[in-house]
Amino acid sequence: MSAGFLRFGSLPFAVLLVILAAPSGSSQDRKVVKITAERFTFTPSQIKVKRGTVIEFRLRSDDTNHGFKIVGSDANLIIPKRGRGEATLIFRAEMPGRYTFECSKVCGAGHSFMRGEIIVEDQE
Amino acid sequence: MRVSIMVLVVLFAAGPVLAQPQPPPAAPADRPAKTPEEARIDELERQLEELGARVAELQAGEAPEKPNDEASTTSQTGPISGYMDFHLNRPQDEDPVLDFHRFVLLLNHSFSDRMRFVGEIEVEHGFVEGLEESGELEVEQAYLDFRVSRSFNVRAGMLLAPVGIINERHEPPSYFGVERPSVDTFIIPSTWFEAGAGVHGAFGAGWHYQAYLMAPLDATRITAEEGLAEARQKGFLSNARNIGQTARLEYVGLPGLTLGTSFWRGKTGFNFRREESRVGLIEFDGRYHTGPFAIRGEFAQVFIDGADHLNDFAQRTTGVNSNIARQMRGFYVEPSVRPLPKLKYDIAAFARYENFDTQFRMPAGVLPLKQFDRAAWVVGASYYPDPDVALKIDYTVIRTQSSLFRGVDSLNVGLGWWF
Repeated sequence: MSAGFLRFGSLPFAVLLVILAAPSGSSQDRKVVKITAERFTFTPSQIKVKRGTVIEFRLRSDDTNHGFKIVGSDANLIIPKRGRGEATLIFRAEMPGRYTFECSKVCGAGHSFMRGEIIVEDQE
Repeated sequence: MRVSIMVLVVLFAAGPVLAQPQPPPAAPADRPAKTPEEARIDELERQLEELGARVAELQAGEAPEKPNDEASTTSQTGPISGYMDFHLNRPQDEDPVLDFHRFVLLLNHSFSDRMRFVGEIEVEHGFVEGLEESGELEVEQAYLDFRVSRSFNVRAGMLLAPVGIINERHEPPSYFGVERPSVDTFIIPSTWFEAGAGVHGAFGAGWHYQAYLMAPLDATRITAEEGLAEARQKGFLSNARNIGQTARLEYVGLPGLTLGTSFWRGKTGFNFRREESRVGLIEFDGRYHTGPFAIRGEFAQVFIDGADHLNDFAQRTTGVNSNIARQMRGFYVEPSVRPLPKLKYDIAAFARYENFDTQFRMPAGVLPLKQFDRAAWVVGASYYPDPDVALKIDYTVIRTQSSLFRGVDSLNVGLGWWF
Protein backbone atom coordinates (compact mmCIF):
# COMPACT_ATOMS: atom_id res chain seq x y z
CA MET A 1 0.00 0.00 0.00
CA SER A 2 1.60 3.20 -1.13
CA ALA A 3 -0.56 5.68 0.72
CA GLY A 4 -3.12 5.18 3.35
CA PHE A 5 -5.81 6.72 5.45
CA LEU A 6 -7.76 5.88 8.51
CA ARG A 7 -10.97 7.52 9.56
CA PHE A 8 -12.57 7.92 12.91
CA GLY A 9 -15.55 9.51 14.50
CA SER A 10 -13.61 11.06 17.31
CA LEU A 11 -10.25 12.46 18.10
CA PRO A 12 -9.18 9.97 20.80
CA PHE A 13 -9.18 7.14 18.27
CA ALA A 14 -6.97 9.15 15.98
CA VAL A 15 -4.57 9.98 18.80
CA LEU A 16 -4.34 6.32 19.66
CA LEU A 17 -3.77 5.46 16.05
CA VAL A 18 -0.84 7.79 15.75
CA ILE A 19 0.66 6.13 18.83
CA LEU A 20 0.09 2.69 17.35
CA ALA A 21 1.02 3.38 13.77
CA ALA A 22 4.30 5.08 14.45
CA PRO A 23 6.54 3.09 16.75
CA SER A 24 9.47 4.90 18.22
CA GLY A 25 12.30 5.32 15.80
CA SER A 26 9.99 5.75 12.76
CA SER A 27 11.29 8.22 10.19
CA GLN A 28 7.78 9.34 9.15
CA ASP A 29 6.95 13.00 9.70
CA ARG A 30 3.62 13.77 11.24
CA LYS A 31 1.53 16.80 10.51
CA VAL A 32 -1.81 17.94 11.87
CA VAL A 33 -3.84 19.84 9.31
CA LYS A 34 -6.95 21.65 10.51
CA ILE A 35 -9.45 22.28 7.73
CA THR A 36 -12.58 24.37 8.04
CA ALA A 37 -15.40 23.64 5.63
CA GLU A 38 -17.85 26.38 4.78
CA ARG A 39 -20.19 26.96 1.87
CA PHE A 40 -18.43 26.55 -0.58
CA THR A 41 -14.77 26.28 0.34
CA PHE A 42 -12.27 24.31 2.31
CA THR A 43 -9.73 26.44 4.18
CA PRO A 44 -6.95 25.67 3.55
CA SER A 45 -7.69 24.11 0.18
CA GLN A 46 -4.14 23.25 -0.76
CA ILE A 47 -1.87 21.18 1.48
CA LYS A 48 1.76 20.47 0.62
CA VAL A 49 3.68 17.72 2.41
CA LYS A 50 6.82 15.72 1.90
CA ARG A 51 6.60 12.12 0.85
CA GLY A 52 6.24 9.87 3.86
CA THR A 53 4.34 12.39 5.96
CA VAL A 54 1.43 11.13 7.99
CA ILE A 55 -1.27 13.79 7.85
CA GLU A 56 -3.88 13.96 10.54
CA PHE A 57 -6.79 15.92 9.10
CA ARG A 58 -9.03 17.56 11.67
CA LEU A 59 -12.16 18.65 9.87
CA ARG A 60 -14.84 20.98 11.18
CA SER A 61 -17.66 22.94 9.61
CA ASP A 62 -18.75 26.53 10.04
CA ASP A 63 -22.25 25.80 8.80
CA THR A 64 -23.91 22.63 7.55
CA ASN A 65 -22.75 19.04 7.09
CA HIS A 66 -20.10 18.70 4.44
CA GLY A 67 -18.40 15.64 3.07
CA PHE A 68 -14.67 15.05 2.78
CA LYS A 69 -13.78 12.64 0.04
CA ILE A 70 -10.37 11.88 -1.39
CA VAL A 71 -11.11 11.23 -5.05
CA GLY A 72 -10.12 7.84 -6.32
CA SER A 73 -10.33 6.21 -2.92
CA ASP A 74 -13.06 5.20 -0.54
CA ALA A 75 -11.94 7.79 1.99
CA ASN A 76 -15.22 9.59 2.46
CA LEU A 77 -16.61 10.94 5.68
CA ILE A 78 -19.14 13.47 6.90
CA ILE A 79 -17.96 16.61 8.65
CA PRO A 80 -20.32 17.45 11.52
CA LYS A 81 -22.38 20.61 11.44
CA ARG A 82 -21.24 23.81 13.09
CA GLY A 83 -20.69 23.33 16.79
CA ARG A 84 -21.08 19.55 16.62
CA GLY A 85 -17.40 18.59 16.82
CA GLU A 86 -14.88 17.51 14.25
CA ALA A 87 -14.05 14.54 12.09
CA THR A 88 -10.56 13.10 11.85
CA LEU A 89 -8.84 11.31 9.03
CA ILE A 90 -5.31 9.97 8.82
CA PHE A 91 -3.59 10.05 5.45
CA ARG A 92 -0.19 8.58 4.71
CA ALA A 93 1.42 10.50 1.90
CA GLU A 94 3.73 7.87 0.56
CA MET A 95 3.38 8.36 -3.21
CA PRO A 96 4.29 11.72 -4.75
CA GLY A 97 1.55 13.44 -6.72
CA ARG A 98 -1.63 15.43 -6.38
CA TYR A 99 -4.61 14.05 -4.52
CA THR A 100 -7.92 15.86 -4.97
CA PHE A 101 -10.34 16.10 -2.09
CA GLU A 102 -13.87 17.41 -2.37
CA CYS A 103 -17.16 17.83 -0.57
CA SER A 104 -19.21 14.68 -1.05
CA LYS A 105 -22.44 15.87 0.52
CA VAL A 106 -24.59 18.35 -1.35
CA CYS A 107 -24.37 21.53 0.68
CA GLY A 108 -25.96 24.17 -1.51
CA ALA A 109 -25.99 25.84 -4.90
CA GLY A 110 -22.19 26.02 -5.08
CA HIS A 111 -21.47 22.53 -3.76
CA SER A 112 -19.48 21.58 -6.87
CA PHE A 113 -16.88 24.27 -6.12
CA MET A 114 -15.79 22.67 -2.85
CA ARG A 115 -12.52 21.05 -3.79
CA GLY A 116 -8.93 21.05 -2.67
CA GLU A 117 -5.75 19.14 -3.19
CA ILE A 118 -2.97 17.43 -1.29
CA ILE A 119 0.39 17.84 -3.00
CA VAL A 120 2.84 15.14 -2.00
CA GLU A 121 6.37 16.15 -2.93
CA ASP A 122 9.32 13.81 -3.27
CA GLN A 123 11.92 14.05 -0.52
CA GLU A 124 15.06 15.76 -1.75
CA MET B 1 -21.78 9.14 26.21
CA ARG B 2 -20.80 7.04 29.21
CA VAL B 3 -19.57 4.30 26.90
CA SER B 4 -17.52 6.81 24.92
CA ILE B 5 -15.86 8.07 28.09
CA MET B 6 -15.04 4.53 29.17
CA VAL B 7 -13.58 3.75 25.75
CA LEU B 8 -11.58 6.95 25.92
CA VAL B 9 -10.22 6.10 29.35
CA VAL B 10 -9.32 2.59 28.27
CA LEU B 11 -7.60 3.79 25.14
CA PHE B 12 -5.55 6.43 26.88
CA ALA B 13 -4.71 3.98 29.64
CA ALA B 14 -3.66 1.44 27.05
CA GLY B 15 -1.50 3.85 25.08
CA PRO B 16 1.39 4.23 27.55
CA VAL B 17 1.28 0.51 28.32
CA LEU B 18 1.61 -0.36 24.67
CA ALA B 19 4.35 2.14 24.22
CA GLN B 20 6.49 0.87 27.10
CA PRO B 21 8.96 -2.00 26.54
CA GLN B 22 8.12 -5.19 28.40
CA PRO B 23 10.74 -7.09 30.44
CA PRO B 24 12.60 -9.59 28.22
CA PRO B 25 11.36 -13.20 28.54
CA ALA B 26 13.55 -15.72 30.28
CA ALA B 27 16.05 -17.53 28.00
CA PRO B 28 15.56 -21.28 27.30
CA ALA B 29 17.93 -23.49 29.34
CA ASP B 30 19.52 -25.24 26.31
CA ARG B 31 20.57 -22.00 24.65
CA PRO B 32 22.93 -19.32 25.79
CA ALA B 33 21.20 -16.37 27.37
CA LYS B 34 20.55 -13.40 25.10
CA THR B 35 22.25 -10.16 25.67
CA PRO B 36 20.00 -7.35 26.94
CA GLU B 37 20.24 -5.68 23.52
CA GLU B 38 19.08 -8.83 21.70
CA ALA B 39 16.21 -9.31 24.12
CA ARG B 40 15.14 -5.73 23.62
CA ILE B 41 15.20 -6.14 19.83
CA ASP B 42 13.07 -9.29 20.09
CA GLU B 43 10.59 -7.51 22.30
CA LEU B 44 10.40 -4.54 19.98
CA GLU B 45 9.77 -6.86 17.02
CA ARG B 46 6.99 -8.57 18.91
CA GLN B 47 5.42 -5.24 19.78
CA LEU B 48 5.72 -4.11 16.20
CA GLU B 49 3.81 -7.18 15.01
CA GLU B 50 1.09 -6.53 17.55
CA LEU B 51 0.81 -2.92 16.59
CA GLY B 52 0.64 -3.81 12.91
CA ALA B 53 -2.24 -6.15 13.63
CA ARG B 54 -4.04 -3.45 15.61
CA VAL B 55 -3.59 -0.94 12.81
CA ALA B 56 -4.98 -3.41 10.29
CA GLU B 57 -8.03 -3.91 12.48
CA LEU B 58 -8.62 -0.21 12.76
CA GLN B 59 -8.05 0.56 9.12
CA ALA B 60 -11.32 1.69 7.61
CA GLY B 61 -10.74 1.36 3.88
CA GLU B 62 -8.31 1.21 1.06
CA ALA B 63 -6.29 4.26 0.18
CA PRO B 64 -5.56 5.37 -3.34
CA GLU B 65 -2.66 3.41 -4.76
CA LYS B 66 -1.55 6.40 -6.77
CA PRO B 67 -2.41 10.08 -7.12
CA ASN B 68 -5.97 10.46 -8.30
CA ASP B 69 -5.32 12.06 -11.64
CA GLU B 70 -7.12 9.06 -13.07
CA ALA B 71 -10.73 9.23 -11.96
CA SER B 72 -12.95 6.25 -11.42
CA THR B 73 -15.98 5.65 -13.61
CA THR B 74 -18.22 4.61 -10.76
CA SER B 75 -21.70 6.10 -11.09
CA GLN B 76 -23.12 7.59 -7.91
CA THR B 77 -26.45 9.21 -7.27
CA GLY B 78 -26.61 11.64 -4.38
CA PRO B 79 -29.66 12.26 -2.25
CA ILE B 80 -32.11 15.04 -2.90
CA SER B 81 -31.30 18.19 -0.97
CA GLY B 82 -33.05 21.50 -0.83
CA TYR B 83 -34.18 24.49 1.13
CA MET B 84 -37.42 26.19 1.97
CA ASP B 85 -38.54 29.37 3.63
CA PHE B 86 -41.77 31.06 4.44
CA HIS B 87 -42.42 34.50 5.80
CA LEU B 88 -44.85 36.66 7.61
CA ASN B 89 -44.39 40.21 6.35
CA ARG B 90 -46.26 42.99 8.05
CA PRO B 91 -45.73 46.33 6.29
CA GLN B 92 -46.73 49.43 8.18
CA ASP B 93 -50.39 50.38 7.62
CA GLU B 94 -51.02 47.32 5.49
CA ASP B 95 -52.40 43.84 6.06
CA PRO B 96 -49.81 41.23 6.94
CA VAL B 97 -48.91 38.70 4.27
CA LEU B 98 -48.05 35.07 4.86
CA ASP B 99 -45.98 33.78 1.97
CA PHE B 100 -44.43 30.37 1.41
CA HIS B 101 -41.68 32.09 -0.50
CA ARG B 102 -39.40 29.32 -1.73
CA PHE B 103 -39.54 25.58 -2.13
CA VAL B 104 -36.31 24.42 -3.73
CA LEU B 105 -35.03 20.95 -4.50
CA LEU B 106 -31.47 20.18 -5.57
CA LEU B 107 -30.68 17.08 -7.57
CA ASN B 108 -27.24 15.63 -7.96
CA HIS B 109 -25.93 12.80 -10.08
CA SER B 110 -22.37 11.71 -10.79
CA PHE B 111 -21.89 9.89 -14.07
CA SER B 112 -18.32 9.47 -12.89
CA ASP B 113 -15.80 11.42 -10.85
CA ARG B 114 -15.23 13.46 -13.97
CA MET B 115 -18.79 14.23 -15.08
CA ARG B 116 -21.62 15.42 -12.91
CA PHE B 117 -25.12 16.81 -13.15
CA VAL B 118 -26.57 19.35 -10.75
CA GLY B 119 -30.15 20.56 -10.92
CA GLU B 120 -32.12 23.06 -8.85
CA ILE B 121 -35.87 23.45 -9.21
CA GLU B 122 -37.69 26.21 -7.40
CA VAL B 123 -41.32 26.99 -6.77
CA GLU B 124 -41.76 30.56 -5.59
CA HIS B 125 -44.78 31.69 -3.62
CA GLY B 126 -46.22 28.22 -3.42
CA PHE B 127 -48.65 28.31 -6.30
CA VAL B 128 -48.22 28.55 -10.04
CA GLU B 129 -50.96 29.32 -12.53
CA GLY B 130 -50.81 30.43 -16.12
CA LEU B 131 -51.61 33.92 -17.36
CA GLU B 132 -52.59 35.53 -14.08
CA GLU B 133 -50.09 36.92 -11.64
CA SER B 134 -48.90 34.03 -9.55
CA GLY B 135 -45.83 32.24 -8.30
CA GLU B 136 -43.01 30.95 -10.42
CA LEU B 137 -41.72 27.52 -11.28
CA GLU B 138 -38.09 27.86 -12.27
CA VAL B 139 -35.18 25.68 -13.25
CA GLU B 140 -32.46 27.73 -11.60
CA GLN B 141 -29.64 25.29 -12.22
CA ALA B 142 -29.35 22.32 -14.57
CA TYR B 143 -25.82 21.82 -15.77
CA LEU B 144 -23.20 19.27 -16.52
CA ASP B 145 -19.79 19.71 -14.97
CA PHE B 146 -16.85 18.24 -16.83
CA ARG B 147 -14.14 18.09 -14.20
CA VAL B 148 -10.80 18.12 -15.89
CA SER B 149 -8.58 19.23 -13.04
CA ARG B 150 -8.65 21.41 -9.97
CA SER B 151 -7.65 24.41 -12.04
CA PHE B 152 -9.77 23.83 -15.14
CA ASN B 153 -13.31 22.52 -15.44
CA VAL B 154 -16.04 23.03 -18.01
CA ARG B 155 -19.68 23.68 -17.17
CA ALA B 156 -22.66 23.91 -19.51
CA GLY B 157 -26.42 24.18 -19.06
CA MET B 158 -28.52 26.45 -16.89
CA LEU B 159 -26.02 28.34 -14.76
CA LEU B 160 -26.03 30.80 -11.89
CA ALA B 161 -24.35 34.07 -12.80
CA PRO B 162 -21.33 34.20 -10.46
CA VAL B 163 -22.09 37.73 -9.27
CA GLY B 164 -22.23 38.87 -5.67
CA ILE B 165 -22.64 37.04 -2.39
CA ILE B 166 -26.25 35.95 -2.43
CA ASN B 167 -26.67 34.68 -5.97
CA GLU B 168 -24.65 31.54 -5.23
CA ARG B 169 -25.14 31.44 -1.45
CA HIS B 170 -28.83 31.82 -0.80
CA GLU B 171 -29.69 28.94 1.51
CA PRO B 172 -31.84 30.58 4.23
CA PRO B 173 -29.54 29.75 7.19
CA SER B 174 -26.56 31.23 5.33
CA TYR B 175 -27.74 34.86 5.32
CA PHE B 176 -29.31 37.16 7.85
CA GLY B 177 -32.70 38.76 7.48
CA VAL B 178 -36.03 37.35 6.42
CA GLU B 179 -35.67 38.79 2.92
CA ARG B 180 -32.50 38.88 0.88
CA PRO B 181 -30.68 42.23 0.71
CA SER B 182 -32.26 44.74 -1.67
CA VAL B 183 -28.93 45.27 -3.41
CA ASP B 184 -29.03 41.56 -4.28
CA THR B 185 -32.50 42.02 -5.73
CA PHE B 186 -32.57 45.31 -7.65
CA ILE B 187 -28.93 45.92 -8.58
CA ILE B 188 -27.87 42.27 -8.81
CA PRO B 189 -30.99 40.43 -9.93
CA SER B 190 -30.70 37.37 -7.69
CA THR B 191 -31.38 34.63 -8.30
CA TRP B 192 -29.72 35.35 -11.64
CA PHE B 193 -29.61 32.27 -13.84
CA GLU B 194 -29.29 31.81 -17.57
CA ALA B 195 -28.42 29.17 -20.12
CA GLY B 196 -24.74 29.20 -20.98
CA ALA B 197 -21.37 27.58 -20.71
CA GLY B 198 -17.92 28.34 -19.39
CA VAL B 199 -15.02 27.34 -17.21
CA HIS B 200 -14.21 27.38 -13.53
CA GLY B 201 -11.47 26.21 -11.22
CA ALA B 202 -9.11 26.96 -8.39
CA PHE B 203 -5.44 27.75 -8.27
CA GLY B 204 -2.83 28.49 -5.68
CA ALA B 205 -3.73 28.54 -2.03
CA GLY B 206 -7.27 29.85 -2.08
CA TRP B 207 -7.99 31.45 -5.46
CA HIS B 208 -11.18 30.51 -7.30
CA TYR B 209 -12.39 31.70 -10.66
CA GLN B 210 -15.44 31.32 -12.88
CA ALA B 211 -15.99 32.64 -16.41
CA TYR B 212 -19.11 31.98 -18.45
CA LEU B 213 -20.86 33.02 -21.61
CA MET B 214 -24.60 33.21 -21.11
CA ALA B 215 -27.77 34.69 -22.55
CA PRO B 216 -27.97 38.44 -22.01
CA LEU B 217 -30.34 40.58 -20.01
CA ASP B 218 -33.37 42.09 -21.77
CA ALA B 219 -33.27 45.90 -21.74
CA THR B 220 -37.03 46.18 -22.25
CA ARG B 221 -37.53 44.77 -18.76
CA ILE B 222 -35.20 47.18 -16.95
CA THR B 223 -37.25 49.59 -14.86
CA ALA B 224 -36.65 52.50 -12.56
CA GLU B 225 -38.63 50.82 -9.79
CA GLU B 226 -36.97 47.42 -9.78
CA GLY B 227 -33.69 47.99 -11.58
CA LEU B 228 -32.42 44.80 -13.21
CA ALA B 229 -34.68 42.50 -11.18
CA GLU B 230 -37.01 41.63 -14.06
CA ALA B 231 -34.47 41.84 -16.87
CA ARG B 232 -33.44 38.18 -16.72
CA GLN B 233 -34.48 35.95 -19.58
CA LYS B 234 -34.27 32.89 -17.31
CA GLY B 235 -33.48 30.46 -20.08
CA PHE B 236 -36.96 30.84 -21.55
CA LEU B 237 -36.26 30.88 -25.30
CA SER B 238 -33.55 33.35 -24.44
CA ASN B 239 -32.53 35.65 -27.26
CA ALA B 240 -28.89 34.94 -27.99
CA ARG B 241 -28.19 37.45 -30.75
CA ASN B 242 -25.56 38.77 -28.44
CA ILE B 243 -23.94 36.75 -25.70
CA GLY B 244 -23.28 38.08 -22.24
CA GLN B 245 -19.97 37.56 -20.51
CA THR B 246 -19.53 37.17 -16.80
CA ALA B 247 -16.68 36.21 -14.49
CA ARG B 248 -15.80 36.09 -10.83
CA LEU B 249 -12.51 35.93 -8.93
CA GLU B 250 -12.56 34.96 -5.29
CA TYR B 251 -9.89 34.65 -2.61
CA VAL B 252 -10.51 32.34 0.34
CA GLY B 253 -6.94 31.65 1.40
CA LEU B 254 -7.13 32.99 4.96
CA PRO B 255 -9.32 31.54 7.70
CA GLY B 256 -12.63 33.35 7.97
CA LEU B 257 -11.97 35.70 5.06
CA THR B 258 -13.60 35.72 1.64
CA LEU B 259 -12.96 38.47 -0.89
CA GLY B 260 -14.63 38.50 -4.27
CA THR B 261 -15.09 40.59 -7.35
CA SER B 262 -17.21 39.92 -10.38
CA PHE B 263 -18.49 41.51 -13.55
CA TRP B 264 -21.17 41.02 -16.14
CA ARG B 265 -21.35 42.69 -19.55
CA GLY B 266 -23.43 42.24 -22.64
CA LYS B 267 -25.62 43.85 -25.28
CA THR B 268 -29.20 43.95 -24.10
CA GLY B 269 -31.20 45.81 -26.73
CA PHE B 270 -32.16 42.88 -28.94
CA ASN B 271 -35.87 43.70 -28.62
CA PHE B 272 -35.35 47.19 -30.05
CA ARG B 273 -34.92 47.30 -33.79
CA ARG B 274 -31.87 49.31 -34.82
CA GLU B 275 -31.07 50.08 -31.21
CA GLU B 276 -28.25 48.56 -29.28
CA SER B 277 -27.58 49.06 -25.64
CA ARG B 278 -24.91 47.54 -23.49
CA VAL B 279 -25.12 46.77 -19.79
CA GLY B 280 -22.08 46.39 -17.61
CA LEU B 281 -22.01 45.49 -13.93
CA ILE B 282 -19.06 45.45 -11.57
CA GLU B 283 -19.23 44.13 -8.06
CA PHE B 284 -16.99 43.76 -4.99
CA ASP B 285 -17.80 41.84 -1.87
CA GLY B 286 -16.15 40.65 1.30
CA ARG B 287 -16.94 38.51 4.30
CA TYR B 288 -14.96 37.98 7.46
CA HIS B 289 -15.66 36.24 10.72
CA THR B 290 -13.55 35.70 13.81
CA GLY B 291 -14.86 34.23 17.01
CA PRO B 292 -18.43 35.37 17.55
CA PHE B 293 -18.11 38.40 15.27
CA ALA B 294 -18.70 38.62 11.55
CA ILE B 295 -19.08 41.29 8.92
CA ARG B 296 -19.98 41.23 5.28
CA GLY B 297 -20.32 43.91 2.67
CA GLU B 298 -21.03 44.33 -1.00
CA PHE B 299 -20.83 47.06 -3.59
CA ALA B 300 -22.34 46.88 -7.07
CA GLN B 301 -22.68 49.39 -9.87
CA VAL B 302 -24.50 49.04 -13.17
CA PHE B 303 -23.63 50.95 -16.34
CA ILE B 304 -26.14 51.17 -19.18
CA ASP B 305 -24.89 52.53 -22.48
CA GLY B 306 -27.65 53.91 -24.68
CA ALA B 307 -30.17 54.39 -21.88
CA ASP B 308 -31.45 57.58 -23.54
CA HIS B 309 -32.13 55.71 -26.78
CA LEU B 310 -33.87 52.92 -24.88
CA ASN B 311 -36.14 55.43 -23.14
CA ASP B 312 -36.95 57.24 -26.39
CA PHE B 313 -37.69 54.01 -28.16
CA ALA B 314 -39.93 52.76 -25.34
CA GLN B 315 -41.79 56.09 -25.36
CA ARG B 316 -42.41 55.88 -29.11
CA THR B 317 -43.49 52.26 -29.17
CA THR B 318 -45.37 51.81 -25.91
CA GLY B 319 -46.19 55.35 -24.87
CA VAL B 320 -44.41 54.82 -21.57
CA ASN B 321 -40.98 56.14 -20.77
CA SER B 322 -39.03 53.47 -18.88
CA ASN B 323 -36.94 56.07 -17.08
CA ILE B 324 -33.95 53.79 -17.36
CA ALA B 325 -30.87 55.24 -15.74
CA ARG B 326 -27.43 55.21 -17.23
CA GLN B 327 -26.03 54.10 -13.88
CA MET B 328 -27.45 52.26 -10.87
CA ARG B 329 -25.58 51.71 -7.64
CA GLY B 330 -26.02 49.81 -4.42
CA PHE B 331 -24.01 48.75 -1.42
CA TYR B 332 -24.51 47.32 2.03
CA VAL B 333 -22.59 46.50 5.16
CA GLU B 334 -23.77 43.98 7.72
CA PRO B 335 -22.05 43.34 11.06
CA SER B 336 -23.30 40.46 13.16
CA VAL B 337 -22.54 38.65 16.38
CA ARG B 338 -23.24 35.20 17.74
CA PRO B 339 -23.20 36.01 21.46
CA LEU B 340 -23.53 32.42 22.67
CA PRO B 341 -21.12 30.44 20.49
CA LYS B 342 -20.62 27.69 23.02
CA LEU B 343 -24.25 26.71 23.21
CA LYS B 344 -25.75 23.94 21.16
CA TYR B 345 -28.57 26.21 20.04
CA ASP B 346 -27.12 29.18 18.28
CA ILE B 347 -28.37 32.76 18.24
CA ALA B 348 -27.18 35.60 16.04
CA ALA B 349 -28.00 39.29 15.97
CA PHE B 350 -27.28 41.56 13.05
CA ALA B 351 -27.79 45.02 11.62
CA ARG B 352 -27.62 45.84 7.94
CA TYR B 353 -27.42 49.21 6.27
CA GLU B 354 -28.21 49.27 2.58
CA ASN B 355 -28.18 52.05 0.04
CA PHE B 356 -29.50 51.41 -3.43
CA ASP B 357 -30.33 53.88 -6.14
CA THR B 358 -31.81 52.67 -9.42
CA GLN B 359 -31.49 56.17 -10.89
CA PHE B 360 -28.01 56.97 -9.66
CA ARG B 361 -27.05 58.69 -12.91
CA MET B 362 -29.61 59.59 -15.57
CA PRO B 363 -29.10 60.28 -19.27
CA ALA B 364 -28.25 63.88 -20.14
CA GLY B 365 -31.18 66.24 -19.62
CA VAL B 366 -33.17 63.88 -17.38
CA LEU B 367 -33.42 64.41 -13.65
CA PRO B 368 -33.50 61.39 -11.35
CA LEU B 369 -36.59 60.74 -9.25
CA LYS B 370 -35.60 60.82 -5.61
CA GLN B 371 -38.02 58.08 -4.66
CA PHE B 372 -35.63 55.61 -6.29
CA ASP B 373 -32.73 56.71 -4.13
CA ARG B 374 -33.40 54.40 -1.22
CA ALA B 375 -31.75 53.40 2.03
CA ALA B 376 -32.70 50.53 4.30
CA TRP B 377 -31.92 49.68 7.90
CA VAL B 378 -32.56 46.07 8.79
CA VAL B 379 -32.10 44.98 12.41
CA GLY B 380 -32.87 41.47 13.52
CA ALA B 381 -31.92 38.14 14.95
CA SER B 382 -31.80 34.50 13.98
CA TYR B 383 -32.29 31.52 16.23
CA TYR B 384 -30.84 28.20 15.09
CA PRO B 385 -32.32 25.13 16.81
CA ASP B 386 -30.12 23.27 14.33
CA PRO B 387 -27.35 24.79 12.18
CA ASP B 388 -29.58 24.10 9.15
CA VAL B 389 -32.74 25.65 10.56
CA ALA B 390 -33.16 29.39 11.07
CA LEU B 391 -36.03 31.18 12.76
CA LYS B 392 -35.62 34.81 11.78
CA ILE B 393 -37.13 38.07 12.84
CA ASP B 394 -36.24 41.55 11.67
CA TYR B 395 -37.52 45.08 11.50
CA THR B 396 -36.88 46.88 8.23
CA VAL B 397 -36.98 50.61 7.72
CA ILE B 398 -36.81 51.83 4.13
CA ARG B 399 -36.49 55.53 3.42
CA THR B 400 -36.28 57.39 0.15
CA GLN B 401 -34.86 60.81 -0.66
CA SER B 402 -38.29 61.93 -1.82
CA SER B 403 -40.57 64.02 0.36
CA LEU B 404 -43.61 62.47 -1.35
CA PHE B 405 -42.68 58.81 -1.08
CA ARG B 406 -41.29 58.32 2.37
CA GLY B 407 -40.81 54.57 2.32
CA VAL B 408 -42.25 51.82 4.50
CA ASP B 409 -41.40 50.05 7.69
CA SER B 410 -42.09 46.37 8.07
CA LEU B 411 -41.90 43.64 10.67
CA ASN B 412 -40.85 40.31 9.20
CA VAL B 413 -40.77 36.84 10.64
CA GLY B 414 -39.49 33.84 8.72
CA LEU B 415 -38.60 30.21 9.07
CA GLY B 416 -36.07 28.71 6.68
CA TRP B 417 -34.25 25.43 6.51
CA TRP B 418 -31.75 23.46 4.50
CA PHE B 419 -31.57 19.71 4.27
